[in-house]
Amino acid sequence: MSLAADAFVSQLAAAEPWPENATLYQPLKEDQILLSDCASSLAVQAYLRMCGLPVEVVCRVNAEYMSPSGKIPFIHVGNQVVSELGPIVQFTKAKGHSLSDGLDDVQRAEMKAYMELVNNMLLTAELYVQWCDDATAAEISRPRYSSPYSWPLSNILAYQKQWEVRRKMNAIGWGGKTLEQVYEDVSQCCQALSQRLGTQPYFFNKQPTELDALVFGHLFTILTTRLTSSELAERIKSYSNLLSFCRRIEQSYFEDKKGVIVPLIKRSRRGHSSTNQEV
Amino acid sequence: MLLSVWPLRHKLSQCNWCLGLVYREKNVHFTHFVNEMNAGCVKRSAIKCKFFLVITVRKSCNWAKPEESAEVKTVVVQHVNIQGLGRTKEDLLGYEISDVFHAKNLIDVMKKAHVARQRLLRLGIFKDVEVLIDTSEGADALPNGLDVTFEVTEVKRLTGSYNTMVGNNEGSMVLGLKLPNMFGRAEKLTFQFSYGTKETSYGLSFFKPQPGHFERNLTLNMYKVTGQFPWSSLKETDRGMSAELNFPLGMTNHTLKWEGVWRELGCLARSASFAVREESGHSLKSALSHTVSIDSRNSAIFPSRGALLRINQELAGYTGGDASFLKEDFELQLNRRLFWDSVLSASLWGGMLYPIGGQPTCIADRFYLGGPTSVRGFGMYSIGPQSEGDYLGGEAYWAGGLHLYTPLPFRPGKGGFGDLFRTHFFLNAGNLCNLNYGEGPRAHLQKLAECIRWSYGAGIVLRLGNIARLELNYCVPMGVQSGDR
Repeated sequence: MSLAADAFVSQLAAAEPWPENATLYQPLKEDQILLSDCASSLAVQAYLRMCGLPVEVVCRVNAEYMSPSGKIPFIHVGNQVVSELGPIVQFTKAKGHSLSDGLDDVQRAEMKAYMELVNNMLLTAELYVQWCDDATAAEISRPRYSSPYSWPLSNILAYQKQWEVRRKMNAIGWGGKTLEQVYEDVSQCCQALSQRLGTQPYFFNKQPTELDALVFGHLFTILTTRLTSSELAERIKSYSNLLSFCRRIEQSYFEDKKGVIVPLIKRSRRGHSSTNQEV
Repeated sequence: MLLSVWPLRHKLSQCNWCLGLVYREKNVHFTHFVNEMNAGCVKRSAIKCKFFLVITVRKSCNWAKPEESAEVKTVVVQHVNIQGLGRTKEDLLGYEISDVFHAKNLIDVMKKAHVARQRLLRLGIFKDVEVLIDTSEGADALPNGLDVTFEVTEVKRLTGSYNTMVGNNEGSMVLGLKLPNMFGRAEKLTFQFSYGTKETSYGLSFFKPQPGHFERNLTLNMYKVTGQFPWSSLKETDRGMSAELNFPLGMTNHTLKWEGVWRELGCLARSASFAVREESGHSLKSALSHTVSIDSRNSAIFPSRGALLRINQELAGYTGGDASFLKEDFELQLNRRLFWDSVLSASLWGGMLYPIGGQPTCIADRFYLGGPTSVRGFGMYSIGPQSEGDYLGGEAYWAGGLHLYTPLPFRPGKGGFGDLFRTHFFLNAGNLCNLNYGEGPRAHLQKLAECIRWSYGAGIVLRLGNIARLELNYCVPMGVQSGDR
């Protein structure tokens, strides 16, 4: 969004408190949602839970097209619609809820840098594995993406999405990479994150920030989604502090009121992870 | 006066009815004509003339034998020729001209030749048709035999058009290509492509009539069209194909159509309401529809008598696709001429959309109401259920109008330009709502009858050719409900 639009939205957002009926929209959990979308959605949900803001998750077949930017997830708060983690963080900040207020400028810049790293590496790797790897695309991504539609629309939309992602990969230079190289990149990214995390509970001090939410969203989804090959998950499992980090956030923020840990991911069929969450 | 032969320089095309025009004709050449229709004499003159007809006038003459007037002398049409054919196949034309063989006398031959000419022209494959009636020659020529020849000029194989259009904050370039009479049996292939600053659309259409029965025809279409609907903050892109079969049955005209459309809906602006945002996305509609219409009006734009009844049904979902519904709508119009050249016109429309399978209806399938074509005085399609200023349409509606058209007061420009204008008094009413299908018909009627919007007023109407009308009205809207515009 442009600066002027940003300022305008902030003005509007600041006017009202967080309502009770805020909703988050994502594609259908059981049959439709793909790895990358699920990761982004989980990151936003984790962030909102960390802020203590209640939100209801609603699944819609056309969530991707409902979103103003075309990306999942988006939230509907009052009569405003905001999509993607970055704008949502700014939106909640305008309403007075923020996780990164306690950071100084250097730390904030570092946080932004790591968030960019996750977006450029992990998210892109997820998209690559889903759509550019022929086996995964044919077995998992295309059938799931097109499941709500009838023939021939299902084929048209699935191939359209695949071409779009492949074009984007070529544009950013990932078109020529092999799967092995992508796995290597993921390993390096995880190594950088692992080093930064060290033995701390969260990335910055003892309080979680949006970076924690983002990393949790991506790593947790990769760990708990079964793809055609479990190489991606294996690479992450080799960093034990990242594993315990994920488990810690799951226990802290995705627990229901009775103190029982709600199973976040059900490993049933290949390629899909379903989440049971209570607000 | 005389029994004469009138060689005319004019083509038969200019006479609505040959006898009448010729009677008015001033340039007349008299040739010597003896009291029988002698083959030799007529033939000589025929070579020089484009068209040629023989008439008798009521008053008696001293040249002709009164008993041999052209009405009673029997003739036999021996040959009917068509000249000037290129790619058109002859079997197609046989049906149109076959009637000419049954003519019994000369006047009958002329009448039937004229009718055949009209039938040939309506096929849309000839630029021009000229008729030549001559006595027959050759070895098997009978003394009272006639040969009728149609001289036709085929249309070009390919015609193109290029327009630019500006409007609605958008400029576009429209290219059209037409291939008439593609395979020789009056098939027509049309292609239209529109390239605009905002949207691009195109369409390809193939039309094939049944030889001998032009009113029975098949049309195949493939298209991509885009539309913007600011009253709902919605934009729609349709890519689809359709197959349509038209046929007359008695007095009615039936159309059977299958249509498969991939619809893509999106918000027109970021400020669109959430209800419209929820409708964004893709859907596939595969629908069968049937329309029956009876039209006895004398004009489509300014009918002064006659009636129109059109009933349309559409069933979607049973031939594939996501959308599943049954849609019915009808239109009824009655016109009657009153005193002093004024016309009273009453019309009624209505429709109902019934979703099948429990899914909610799509905004692109619902009915809309309001605007200068239905209930005047209200904004375009701005009646009925709405959300934050965006009109969502309804599942059932009815609308009615009572119009009185009179010529302009004091009739300025009578007989010419002034006839294109009419004054217009109207009373419109209508209602659009969503029905709760669990209740019975009585509840539905009650729901449609409450909250009626209506308006009345007067204005001036201008007829543009035979295709459109321009109105300027002063309306007083009444019964406005909250949310209408």
